[in-house]
Amino acid sequence: MSQILENPRGGCVLAGINSVLGALDKVCPILHAGPGCCMQTSAAEQGQSGHKSSCFVSSVSIPSSNMLEKEVVFGGTDKLRTTIQGAIDIMDADAFFVLTGCTAGIIGDDIISVTQEFQDKGHEVYPIDTPGFAGDSNLGYEIVWNTMIDQVIEKDVPKDEKLVNIFGIVPYHDPFWSGTLEEIDRILSLLGLKVNTFFTKHQGINDIKKCSGAALNIIVNPWLWNGPAKKFEEKFGVPSIRIPGLFVGATDTTGFVREVAKALSLEDELVEKVIAAEEDYVYHYLAQSIGVVSWKRFAVVADANNAVGITRYLANDFSFTPVLVIISEPLFRQEDKDRIIAQINDLEYAVPPRIVFTADQYEINQALLTEEKEITLLIGSSNEREVALEKDIQFILASFPMNERLVFNRTYAGYRGGLTFTEDLYDNL
Amino acid sequence: METVQYSGVRESKPGRINDLGTTGKEVEENFKKGCLKRADRSFAQGLQCQQINSMAALMSLEDSVFISHSPQGCVGCSIMAVDMYRVGQAHRGIKNIKNPRIIVTNIDQKSVVFGGEQKLRDSVKKAVEQYNPKLAFIYASCASGIIGDDIDAIASDLQQEYPDTIMVPIHCEGFKSKICASGFDAAFLSINKYILKKEKIPKEKGLVNLFAPTTVSYADQREMERMLSQIGIKVNYIPFYSSLEKIKKIPAAEASTSICKVFADEFMKTLWEDYDIPYSHTVMPIGIRNTDKWYRGIAKVLGKEKEVEDIIAMEHKRIEPLVAAIRERLQGKRVFICGGTGRSFAAAALIDDFGMELVGLETPTYDDDAQVDIEYLNGIHKNYVVDIANMQPFEQANLVNKLKPDAFIGVPDWAAKLGIPTTHVLEGKRPTMGYDGLLYLGNKIADQLQNPGFNVKLSQHVKLPYKDSWYEENAFKYIEGGV
Repeated sequence: MSQILENPRGGCVLAGINSVLGALDKVCPILHAGPGCCMQTSAAEQGQSGHKSSCFVSSVSIPSSNMLEKEVVFGGTDKLRTTIQGAIDIMDADAFFVLTGCTAGIIGDDIISVTQEFQDKGHEVYPIDTPGFAGDSNLGYEIVWNTMIDQVIEKDVPKDEKLVNIFGIVPYHDPFWSGTLEEIDRILSLLGLKVNTFFTKHQGINDIKKCSGAALNIIVNPWLWNGPAKKFEEKFGVPSIRIPGLFVGATDTTGFVREVAKALSLEDELVEKVIAAEEDYVYHYLAQSIGVVSWKRFAVVADANNAVGITRYLANDFSFTPVLVIISEPLFRQEDKDRIIAQINDLEYAVPPRIVFTADQYEINQALLTEEKEITLLIGSSNEREVALEKDIQFILASFPMNERLVFNRTYAGYRGGLTFTEDLYDNL
Repeated sequence: METVQYSGVRESKPGRINDLGTTGKEVEENFKKGCLKRADRSFAQGLQCQQINSMAALMSLEDSVFISHSPQGCVGCSIMAVDMYRVGQAHRGIKNIKNPRIIVTNIDQKSVVFGGEQKLRDSVKKAVEQYNPKLAFIYASCASGIIGDDIDAIASDLQQEYPDTIMVPIHCEGFKSKICASGFDAAFLSINKYILKKEKIPKEKGLVNLFAPTTVSYADQREMERMLSQIGIKVNYIPFYSSLEKIKKIPAAEASTSICKVFADEFMKTLWEDYDIPYSHTVMPIGIRNTDKWYRGIAKVLGKEKEVEDIIAMEHKRIEPLVAAIRERLQGKRVFICGGTGRSFAAAALIDDFGMELVGLETPTYDDDAQVDIEYLNGIHKNYVVDIANMQPFEQANLVNKLKPDAFIGVPDWAAKLGIPTTHVLEGKRPTMGYDGLLYLGNKIADQLQNPGFNVKLSQHVKLPYKDSWYEENAFKYIEGGV
């Protein structure tokens, strides 16, 4: 079902799986794949995400069977076996996941049986039999969680009414993932909750195993993680709520807090106290720079999650004028598109912008260049800088792929992220 | 008798090997005796595939589209070349910086079962109709190769339909070679076959083809052009940041040379065979000795030995006092070097300018070309480890941890976490080559050695992913076969 695409954003499903696993502490992917897949899949995601890559193993440090002609012709399971053994011998990992490249997928190597041999010896090795050609990196995120639900997460873990799991923020595919998860963690901790972000504070495989003890799954994304949410509830009885877009700034973040509070029946007094304090923090700063950032008519090119968050913040909280929003990731279900459109159209005062769904660079450029209304600010990925230069307008690099900035814990999400975003809007021109 | 057409796969060259753990002395002797045999690693980490090189080599060509007949992941590494292209434009003073047009056919489950040829046709059609390019490069992938899509036939078919765009299919299937430089050869084979077509054109006096990969900075390009212009050479700088017109000019040159040892080396042989263009294949012009050697090489081909000696003497006079000052700071320091074929040997020669001692060398392949370098290095350095490896950071970490060098030259990610001062000679955005580049590199190495605080503190907080027991093992434990 994959489309022909110019300048595709991110890699194949293998790239998604590899990068998501790479964000877990001491988890080691093992690739049963062609000789370039470690490097290609890492570059496709981690390599375009603000220049940070997995601290444990990434790119050419990932164990790989490097399938050449011999393996293509005669099969590569022997090579896989010695590769897994070597990885177990020398890598100081808590868990290994065996992943499949196109080569292994097409010739039909049985990675599940090979992996089973090691499981039988007591090693923590899990197979993910989804070859690269099966889809894109968003699918990779869901495949990882389906694998966790099927093979890793334990049943009958004691319930913890204060524990929540966060899903929908895709490591590396969202360049601000680290900072975003940290801001969500900070806010929910103020409400007295314990938060599984899974990808920050050195969380790893053991936190995943026990995450079925959570009271609630919170999906921060307008469309991802639909299948895994159902499966998770069926198997472990944990319900999910969906926050249908990233929250940037005070209005939507407060909305998020209230949604979570409602789902968990948190004590009103505490919730209102937290909201009041956080909103005061934001407006105390905003009040110090009134009129400093000049008014703009803006366009956004981003994945659905960030596009919703950025558009709603600029329109609802900052009184900028939305003109055009381009959702630049492949979406296949109309219901998902409808949910995204509803979020972008539901603005407090502003007239809703035109919304375009396309992941193809030519179509994105055309939509921007042929827009009849004036655009004076473009928020997009490294790929949109070209059009911004051509139109000679302000450009903010804020979505994936992100190559011209270094990102550690920066985020535009939450109360504090909204302030960071506003700082970046300043251009003095 | 017709000579056998080179396949583009570097392993096809007799005596060339990829997997070996040895020492400088041992490998020189064993190569001489013909004792080196093809080996493999029973455990390995990821490699760089040849498709990455085929794409990177051409990505900055004007008026071109790049069609990858593959799933979406196979254009992941193109970001490196895209970045170099964008920065290259900025360095050249271009204000409206452009993106290369990369189109992926996105081979999927359906294509794997029913073939992906229609997707390729649709992709080419989309690219040509949207951009009307002069060149359309069509790259094969592991997936397209295994399912047997005939990219040549489709290209030839579409050539009829779109006569204004030259279709250039490139056979860079990743599984065909362990040596990523094969991808350069695959690209040049196709350039010859589909663009140059063995047609001879009138020679242009003083014109020299200077082949440069994408990793060469604009500063380095200018330094090379400055040096060559001093001996009356006009440079056709290709294929980085060039165009169809400049490619078509290749056969008009009086001679060819390359900036990198494994870039266009095979192609320059082809240019000699098909267009009678003599060439100089020496070393990468990094460090005094290598820069001299590179400079003399191309001068000799053009009969300018006398002129070049005068200039070299002048450059030495200018540069030697400055190098001496750096040497004061670096004399006797022990170095471990890791890099691609060109850069690793170039760095090894460079450290001699500064009086440093080689303790370890990691390079991807060994062949008669490497033998020449090793013979030279053995004349200077008495005792050093050689790891023939395409990266393999687990071996590197083991060796670096045992050898405890004063400095590491190469990709810094791993040695830095061991607390060793690191520096790199591959700086695609800065000067590294020729007489001027030497000073930049020397000062950088000396300064990093003097001030290693970042790596020292990093190593106190961050661990490499290996078990402690691995550092006690033989680094070459997983290499099977060979000598």
